[in-house]
Amino acid sequence: MNNDFKLKSELVNDSLVMKASGYVNNVGGETIVKEFEKHFNNGTTNVIIDLADSKVVNSIGISYLLEIIEKLMEKKGKLIFTNLDSAIDKSFSIMGIFHFAEKAPSVDAALKMME
Amino acid sequence: MLREKDMNEAIELKISLPKIPDIELVALEGLQRLASYLGISEDKIGEARILATEAIINALEHAGAKEVPVDVVLTMTKKKLVIFVRDYGKGFEPDNVEEPIIEKKLGTNKKRGWGLKLMKTMSDDIIIESGQDGTKITLIKNLA
Repeated sequence: MNNDFKLKSELVNDSLVMKASGYVNNVGGETIVKEFEKHFNNGTTNVIIDLADSKVVNSIGISYLLEIIEKLMEKKGKLIFTNLDSAIDKSFSIMGIFHFAEKAPSVDAALKMME
Repeated sequence: MLREKDMNEAIELKISLPKIPDIELVALEGLQRLASYLGISEDKIGEARILATEAIINALEHAGAKEVPVDVVLTMTKKKLVIFVRDYGKGFEPDNVEEPIIEKKLGTNKKRGWGLKLMKTMSDDIIIESGQDGTKITLIKNLA
């Protein structure tokens, strides 16, 4: 089980796509937020977070992601999570995250939802 | 090939975790190996992984002195997992823990505090015993 956290990001059609791999703990959550802020400060308000390679998260890591939701709400932006493991999907549901964010089965599907 | 009798017997993993970053992953590795030994599929232990993670990080955070470890016992059969986590901190009153609501968390600096809610909602049973000599959390998750 390799859980070293890594994050790759790219801009696709004005959407920020961040692909996380490894354990989304406090360090992982903070890394995602910092990357988001760099792009948000340049005007990006459509964000996709892909968790295909993150099978382990904790609630502290997820709490960091609430900062992204807050900032996107201010600018009427959109956040979509993709490739969620079923247990992570359930965690997000319990926390109420899908009241403020959406989910999609793949990054491509999320990009279509952004159009 | 495991015999039917073996598959129904509980296997147990006991570990004592020091307070170092990401040490909960050691328990998750153990959980994975127990499940693999019993032939339990990956999709069935996803929620168990979250339960173990939350119980352990909660204990590590409230464990008191840095040199005092957190004890974890994972007991698994093909049908059920029992996660027992014990810390030696100052304890807490579970009934006094405010239920987190995302609408109230947004816009504040207090975005954490979801562990207990996740454990209560995802487990099939939860027992919390807490006092001045620490906290014991027992989580039961049906796997069948």
